[in-house]
Amino acid sequence: MTLAPDEDLMLQVRDGAGETLGVLFDRYQTPLFNFYSKLTGNRTLSEDLVQEVFLRILKYRQSYRPGTPFRAWIYQIARNARIDHFRKFRREATFEPEMLPPVLPTDSAQEQQEVELLQRALQQLPEEKREILLLCRFQELKYEEIASLLGCELNTVRTRIHRALQELRKNFHQLAQGTLLKKAEAAGNIPPRGGRHEV
Amino acid sequence: MKCEPISELLPDYLQGSLSAEQRHTVEAHLEQCADCCEEAALWKKLSLLPVDQPSPASRERFEALLQAYQAGRSNQPKGGSEWRKRFASWNIFHWLRSPLGAAAWSAAVLIIGIFAGLQIANSKSSSQEISVLRDELTSTKQLVVLSMLQQQSASARLEGVTWSTREQQLDPQVLSALLHTLRYDQSVDVRLAALDALSRHGRQPQVHKGVLDSLQQDQSPLVQVALIDLMLEWRDRDAAHRLQELEQTPNLNPTVRQRVEWAKSKLN
Repeated sequence: MTLAPDEDLMLQVRDGAGETLGVLFDRYQTPLFNFYSKLTGNRTLSEDLVQEVFLRILKYRQSYRPGTPFRAWIYQIARNARIDHFRKFRREATFEPEMLPPVLPTDSAQEQQEVELLQRALQQLPEEKREILLLCRFQELKYEEIASLLGCELNTVRTRIHRALQELRKNFHQLAQGTLLKKAEAAGNIPPRGGRHEV
Repeated sequence: MKCEPISELLPDYLQGSLSAEQRHTVEAHLEQCADCCEEAALWKKLSLLPVDQPSPASRERFEALLQAYQAGRSNQPKGGSEWRKRFASWNIFHWLRSPLGAAAWSAAVLIIGIFAGLQIANSKSSSQEISVLRDELTSTKQLVVLSMLQQQSASARLEGVTWSTREQQLDPQVLSALLHTLRYDQSVDVRLAALDALSRHGRQPQVHKGVLDSLQQDQSPLVQVALIDLMLEWRDRDAAHRLQELEQTPNLNPTVRQRVEWAKSKLN
């Protein structure tokens, strides 16, 4: 039962087996939550939007057609839910960095620092670029699925991903340089700006 | 080699969907180009970003939502599963074979025939005639909707509601029928579909009031939640008052109560 494909489960939900949606909820709750939280930086809003997605699935279950890839379908709903939310309620904040999940300690301190920088570099991207990277890298949607989701050509998806990566690299570079400078300052290798090097 | 041709291949390389030859070309370039190499490395590092876990309360909220849904469905008359089954296997050919479908399509074909005949007989047929025919076709469709909304079978009523969404403008008579469906239909699915259809016509005061007045009457939590959402979307002036009234309803479903709280917070 639990190993059944998403599409089969959704067809059961469509035909009235509401309880089956619980299995789909368990499969998609965390990916969807991360999609929203990495996009908005707001945990509470992200949880609300996940609930909204599943409410919409119940409401519009009759519109699910056999053969539709479930993952693409649910992300279409997820995108619409977010767009509708921001249309109804004015955007309160762009991104709330304090809401980001803590980076768990890893074996390498350098790796941990890199991941932190990467997280900040991702936050600095414009939302549409952040979204496309999240869709293909975290939600593992195929480029074809993203193209139909965003309503654009496949080549446009490739171009957008590449541009997003380019900008991510620039942001990452700037942040990494800033961190290096701070470290050097802290170590006393570089004189403080406008002043003499104090020993 | 310059980055330009490689950058077009990079997204597919990163997703592992290049041919062996193209992959070698990209890899050879990555060895020489620091920028592209760094982009590929960042792509890999993105997978290291921590996965955040939603709070346990999220699952509980979902359970409450599901219970509300089940409660709404169990209010439906028996035999619902039979029509649902029929609806699931419904397709346009089944419908065409039904007497109602046959009548509707005969009318449509007749009008199309007259339309085509006029086109052939008089290639300079005036746009006025065409618009008259178009109006006739539209009113035929609306008659079909009206007739379907009065069917015994819930699947036929559901289809009637769906038909109504194909027209931009609806006759006041069809709108009243939809409002009647929203208020009195026994099936939650049909009421939800009617609500969706009516939500496109919220600018008409009669629809706006009729829809939101049903909030006090509908017992299905799913319909109530959908109505609360619509009230916020329409920025109803009396929203606060309506929510307060709803909140005072005895035995209000917990999910609906939660939605009322949420809606109130959005109003402030």
